[in-house]
Amino acid sequence: METKDQKKHRKKNSGPKAEKKKKRHLQDLQIGDEEDARKRNPKAFAVQSAVRMARSFHRTQDLKTKKHHIPVVDRTPLEPPPIVVVVMGPPKVGKSTLIQCLIRNFTRQKLTEIRGPVTIVSGKKRRLTIIECGCDINMMIDLAKVADLVLMLIDASFGFEMETFEFLNICQVHGFPKIMGVLTHLDSFKYNKQLKKTKKRLKHRFWTEVYPGAKLFYLSGMVHGEYQNQEIHNLGRFITVMKFRPLTWQTSHPYILADRMEDLTNPEDIRKNIKCDRKVSLYGYLRGAHLKNKSQIHMPGVGDFAVSDVSFLPDPCALPEQQKKRCLNEKEKLVYAPLSGVGGVLYDKDAVYVDLGGSHGFQESDEVRPTHELVQSLISTHSTIDAKMASSRVTLFSDSKPLGSEDIDNQGQWMPKEEKQIDLETGRVRRKAIFGDEEDESGDSDDEDDEEMSEGDKLDNGSSADESEEEVDAEMTDKVYMAGKGVKRQRLEMDEDSEVDLPAFADSDDDLERSSEDEGEAEEADESGEEEDSTAGKRDILESSVVGDRSKPRLLQTDGLSDGLNLENPLTIKKATLTTSDSGHCTAEEAFASEDETEESSSLSTEGEDSENEEVIRKKFPKSSKVASGQRLGSENLIDETSDVEDLLKEEEDYKEENNYSTETSGALKWKEDLSRKAAEAFLRQQQATPNLRKLIYGTVTEDNEEEDGDTREELGGLFRVSQPSGECKHKLDSLDCSRFHVEAPHDWDLEEVMNSIRDCFVTGKWEDDKDAAKILAEDEELYGDFEDLETGDVHKGKPGPDTQIEEVEEVKEEIDPSAEESAKKKHLDKKRKLKEMFDAEYDEGESTYFDDLKGEMHKQAQLNRAEFEDQDDEARVQYEGFRPGMYVRIEIESVPCEFVLNFDPHYPIILGGLGNSEGNVGYVQMRLKKHRWYKKILKSRDPIIFSVGWRRFQTIPLYYIEDHNGRQRLLKYTPQHMHCGATFWGPITPQGTGFLAVQSVSGIMPDFRIAATGVVLDLDKSIKIVKKLKLTGFPYKIFKNTSFIKGMFNSALEVAKFEGAVIRTVSGIRGQIKKALRAPEGAFRASFEDKLLMSDIVFMRTWYPVSIPAFYNPVTSLLKPVGEKDTWSGMRTTGQLRLARGVRLKPNKDSLYKPIVRQKKHFNSLHIPKALQKALPFKNKPKTQAKAGKIPKDRRRPAVIREPHERKVLALLDALSTVHSQKMKKAKEQRHLHNKEHFKVKQKEEEEKLKRQKDLRKKLFRIQGQKERRNQKSSLKGPEEPSK
Amino acid sequence: MATQSHSLSYAGCNFLRQRLVLSTLSGRPVKIRKIRARDDNPGLRDFEASFIRLLDKITNGSRIEINQTGTTLYYQPGLLYGGAVEHDCSDLRGIGYYLESLLCLAPFMKHPLRIVLRGVTNDQVDPSVDVLKATALPLLKQFGIDGESFELKVVRRGMPPGGGGEVFFSCPVRKVLKPVQLTDPGKIKRIRGIAYSVRVSPQMANRIVDSARSILNKFIPDIYIYTDHMKGVSSGKPHAAALLPPGCSLLALGPVSPILLLSPPHSLPQAPVGWRRSPVRSGPILLHSAASTRPRSCSCVIFAGGCIDSTNQSLGLLLMTLGQQDVSKVLLGPLSPYTIEFLRHLKSFFQIMFKIETKPCGEELKGGDKVLLTCVGIGFSNLSKTLK
Repeated sequence: METKDQKKHRKKNSGPKAEKKKKRHLQDLQIGDEEDARKRNPKAFAVQSAVRMARSFHRTQDLKTKKHHIPVVDRTPLEPPPIVVVVMGPPKVGKSTLIQCLIRNFTRQKLTEIRGPVTIVSGKKRRLTIIECGCDINMMIDLAKVADLVLMLIDASFGFEMETFEFLNICQVHGFPKIMGVLTHLDSFKYNKQLKKTKKRLKHRFWTEVYPGAKLFYLSGMVHGEYQNQEIHNLGRFITVMKFRPLTWQTSHPYILADRMEDLTNPEDIRKNIKCDRKVSLYGYLRGAHLKNKSQIHMPGVGDFAVSDVSFLPDPCALPEQQKKRCLNEKEKLVYAPLSGVGGVLYDKDAVYVDLGGSHGFQESDEVRPTHELVQSLISTHSTIDAKMASSRVTLFSDSKPLGSEDIDNQGQWMPKEEKQIDLETGRVRRKAIFGDEEDESGDSDDEDDEEMSEGDKLDNGSSADESEEEVDAEMTDKVYMAGKGVKRQRLEMDEDSEVDLPAFADSDDDLERSSEDEGEAEEADESGEEEDSTAGKRDILESSVVGDRSKPRLLQTDGLSDGLNLENPLTIKKATLTTSDSGHCTAEEAFASEDETEESSSLSTEGEDSENEEVIRKKFPKSSKVASGQRLGSENLIDETSDVEDLLKEEEDYKEENNYSTETSGALKWKEDLSRKAAEAFLRQQQATPNLRKLIYGTVTEDNEEEDGDTREELGGLFRVSQPSGECKHKLDSLDCSRFHVEAPHDWDLEEVMNSIRDCFVTGKWEDDKDAAKILAEDEELYGDFEDLETGDVHKGKPGPDTQIEEVEEVKEEIDPSAEESAKKKHLDKKRKLKEMFDAEYDEGESTYFDDLKGEMHKQAQLNRAEFEDQDDEARVQYEGFRPGMYVRIEIESVPCEFVLNFDPHYPIILGGLGNSEGNVGYVQMRLKKHRWYKKILKSRDPIIFSVGWRRFQTIPLYYIEDHNGRQRLLKYTPQHMHCGATFWGPITPQGTGFLAVQSVSGIMPDFRIAATGVVLDLDKSIKIVKKLKLTGFPYKIFKNTSFIKGMFNSALEVAKFEGAVIRTVSGIRGQIKKALRAPEGAFRASFEDKLLMSDIVFMRTWYPVSIPAFYNPVTSLLKPVGEKDTWSGMRTTGQLRLARGVRLKPNKDSLYKPIVRQKKHFNSLHIPKALQKALPFKNKPKTQAKAGKIPKDRRRPAVIREPHERKVLALLDALSTVHSQKMKKAKEQRHLHNKEHFKVKQKEEEEKLKRQKDLRKKLFRIQGQKERRNQKSSLKGPEEPSK
Repeated sequence: MATQSHSLSYAGCNFLRQRLVLSTLSGRPVKIRKIRARDDNPGLRDFEASFIRLLDKITNGSRIEINQTGTTLYYQPGLLYGGAVEHDCSDLRGIGYYLESLLCLAPFMKHPLRIVLRGVTNDQVDPSVDVLKATALPLLKQFGIDGESFELKVVRRGMPPGGGGEVFFSCPVRKVLKPVQLTDPGKIKRIRGIAYSVRVSPQMANRIVDSARSILNKFIPDIYIYTDHMKGVSSGKPHAAALLPPGCSLLALGPVSPILLLSPPHSLPQAPVGWRRSPVRSGPILLHSAASTRPRSCSCVIFAGGCIDSTNQSLGLLLMTLGQQDVSKVLLGPLSPYTIEFLRHLKSFFQIMFKIETKPCGEELKGGDKVLLTCVGIGFSNLSKTLK
């Protein structure tokens, strides 16, 4: 039974095993020892034809070269941003289902409703941002610009739809991201054959659009409303391993696909005017290029803005840290989609809810709600900006909870920036907390307290929130350090129905904030390099603490706590100390700066400085009492300065200790350790380097935002402003503008030792070890000393004796001396390296082509780019190279139209596209344009049309033109049908080479193909040269021989003067020239022609008239439309549309109408040859037509014959007789003819018979003759016997 | 589109060229107020007005507004156009004043710039044309701006106060610039120079050469100083006080980076009046002393020198900024005040900050401390150039 079941063994016919067997077999036969046929049978591969060989070589080279792309520098960051996967397709094709399935596949989470982008971790090194794209053309255009990968869903049961092709075309224009087709609804096919056919048909159509061999994925059917797991898994694999080629536009511009939006407007402003411009913050991963702060950005669908602030945040959806594992564990499978309410934050219009279930480490349930009155009152208060900001922080922190420690390092640094946004406007300023000298001392206890508190919170999570709240309050009253707490409390209040975890959160946040500030401080200290703190750093802290202050009182009021006022007094004092410390630091710093700067005069009076500093401070905090206290404490500070560094160091140490403590007690706050340690390290590192130049040049980095104020002092930079007396400032403002730098020679160059100081700058000086000629020579000797002559087999030893001997000796020594051993090792390694280099040089040189060199160069540059700023912390790095792609950033934008917030629809993508230099300007843009072959109509000049160029979508009025052979740009009324033409419009300047597309309207759904034209930007300019033809006509009013007077062409002599010498022409083709204006009539002129004109001639002049383009630029603001009407944006209408709407009919020119063509018969006059000519003509050419015989004169006319009756009878008889006779003759003739015919026939017959007979006869004769000949032949063969017969 | 916050505002006439040049390149309008507002003679001077006129000539569509007193200037840049231009520079400043800015702008024109500048070729204040020719042009070549048409020619020499010099400058157009890594200045292999003299005896130049050699020979023997004596039409306009001092410029060439360029300043100590009156009598002595101070200041330049000499520091930094989004590095000597201000301007116009590291001089006797500047280019592309 078993034997029956077993399959019969089948021999392998392919695969490695089979090959091996084959080889063995061949070897057995003694022919397989050389598997290469070329070697086995070299004759068969000998060169047959040199030409063919050359050709084939060329061909292979061509093919090889064709594969090359121009090498580009790889600028992808080490931790790249998530890949944008756009899921696109017509409605009801299964986009949302696919997204859901993909997310479930990667994260094991099921999202029910997806709004906006969803970011997931798909692998150890890759994250995806998946976003759905409907068939609104605005959305399609925007998403095509940011997409890395497009999943193009196609309903196989229906076939391709217009949207698919439109999207493909959009993609082609904007750089062509990777496109993968996905066929769905394959289960609707009943028959397999039909299915196969459809698949094949769709595949080939898809290939023609994308590229042959493009991946088309098949999703066969649904199971319980979802795609099959295995297929989705495969699709996911494809996406995860896919490689991308960088797209030019995307790599040269920073951009963000925002996944979160917050409105930061002051609620009071909104209350006053609901339509006021908003201030919003947008969050998302930065992609593309580096983003600089304060740069220009464009939001497609909204408009152009200047970034008011950028800050980077900890990654909410971080990649797992490097591990050796193959796959991710559950905790690392993160998903982040704040707009859909996943990833800790649920977005709502005016509130933010924190969802801490799901992927986060917190296990607490939401059941416990704050029930205490106080907290409820907190909840009921209206949220303020501060509160909102605070809340945003919470959410962020909650997101970042599961992050690794290295990410958290950054965490401390984003806070101050946020804080900085708030101005110091109110009198509450004075109630601020301190981070100054006092804080240094009390920092310890503070921190510990905080730690304790957070611990406490952690421990009694079960207890109600208000308890912890009270605790906080209590602390606030007696603690100096307040800012963070204030923030925290707002946060609480803000998070309306938030959970019990929040206090803990808030606390941790507190710490974070504080430590960040500390760090900031420390950093500032670093920058100054020596023993001072920077002013700005302090100021920062001041500001940030002010924030806390400002928020706090409000809180207190709402709470109804009475101790708010009590708090104020200590605070003022503390602030005062702070300010004084400030001024003290400044002096030190300035002194230092003045030392450093050689060209500055060192005569800076400290008094002046002091007063100036005070001024600065006064400006910041308009409080007189403070200043007074500042003066009071000024002396104190002078003493403090010296011990400042020590203090700082101590501080750092303290922090370390604290952190150790904290790590021991609460594991959740491990990150803190890293944070402060890093800060300390950075501090120390920078201490050593003392790069004070940076500070000298750029001032303090954190205060850049003022640079646009245009203050006179501003332009001199941060530090100069402080350090320079105003008089000197003035002097510098208007001093001589000269680039020459007169080096004040500090040395006496006649002295020998001074001269020696530059000795090594010359080739005659000393060289570095690795470049010293003598050393190099020696090394070479060592290396090349030994060689073997291959021909003779001789071995030459270079310096045979001493080297080896020494080595031997060294061997003995080595055992004793480890350093000698090391050096020997090094020597050996060096030698090896040299040899390798030589080898490389010898063998790679032949291979390396121009392309390889270029590639190597690019690679080197890429490595340098990566390595240059690697060791710096992000805060500093951001200053130098801008925010690098891959960072999660928060961007603040001011004066955004309120509709953006009011009509916010998370389904629509919000893109922040960075603009390059002067891409925010407008000018004339020239491009090469071609009407799309599928667009039904042709385009008309001066009809408004919507372009999508760069990041932008806008309506503008283009003019179409064609370039004549002489470079003239001639206006076209319409675009040509199947040809490129030029187009120029007035609009935003976009770099040359950028692709664009045009649509006539973005509203509604048109049945036809919507993309009207495509092309590329060619040129940018501030003026245009398009001309149109203008014919001026005039009429002669007096004609001389070759000269005529023409009138009616111009209106004045001046106009004529302008055209003197211009070429004119008559309709009949007589050419001429304008000579000079005539006095009367006005505008008439004298002109000379090559021939005499007729009065009926019309004279015309062809001129070219420059046209102007209306400066119309109207950005498509589709995102500002109300929800649900976002695809109804309509801009300026065309004249045709207007006429249609108004019912205005165009009055056509009568001459342009078509009329039935009536052709009149042409009458030609007879040819008249002059008599003289006739005479001269030869006879044959003389006209032969005789003159018509004229009437015969009477005398010549013969009289008519009148017959007598008799005669008439005779004549009649004769007539009759002749008729009869002729009849008879006719008959006879016929008969004769017949007779002849018959005779001929008979004759023919006879002839035939005769011929036949002759033929027979001849046949007979020939036969006899033949027989005779044969006989003769036979006899001749027998010749020898009978030669003669 | 160009919002108000987009434009930058400054005060004072100092660094006017920087501001206008950077404004042109970045496309951001600039407003300069209080130009010599407190001066007895307020407003823009002739040479500044001439510079603005030159900018207007080489750009298309720029808007320049100057108030009546000339104390406020608003400049909205257009696109750089280029082409064949002629410009009469003011005699108050040397052609170098104009040429320095043109060197910054020329590679980014729509049409290759071919410009004839007339004025003072060599003066006491500005870098002379010879210096720029010897130093700035090789520097530009490092950034990939090169070609047959890249040249600077001194057609005629003109001295202040008369002027009458003529210079021809042509520069090809580039779309993008190469990043550079100039971190090793190398060793000075030879010293080349040019000693020019105008409207004095040609012998004067020779004397300068001799005295310069006598000092520099201590360092390196490979010295060659050309003498350039122009006379007749090519010696500029005659003037009442027309006995003009001869001058000399030296440049040192290194092997590793061929642009180790040292151009001694031209600050010939102001010749005493007596010398001007009677050159024959006391000329040689004075000349000799002048010539010997010059190589001395030259040694000072070498002491301070990096990969780019102090005059062209700002040019080098600008081209680094305008490079691709790659890291560029350059080693400089002490930064001149002009360069420091330029760095600040670069920050406000392009939001670019340089990483500045001081490289203390080690055991080697290579002069003073050096500064290593590093930046990532902004990915500037020439928006004026036409795509064919």
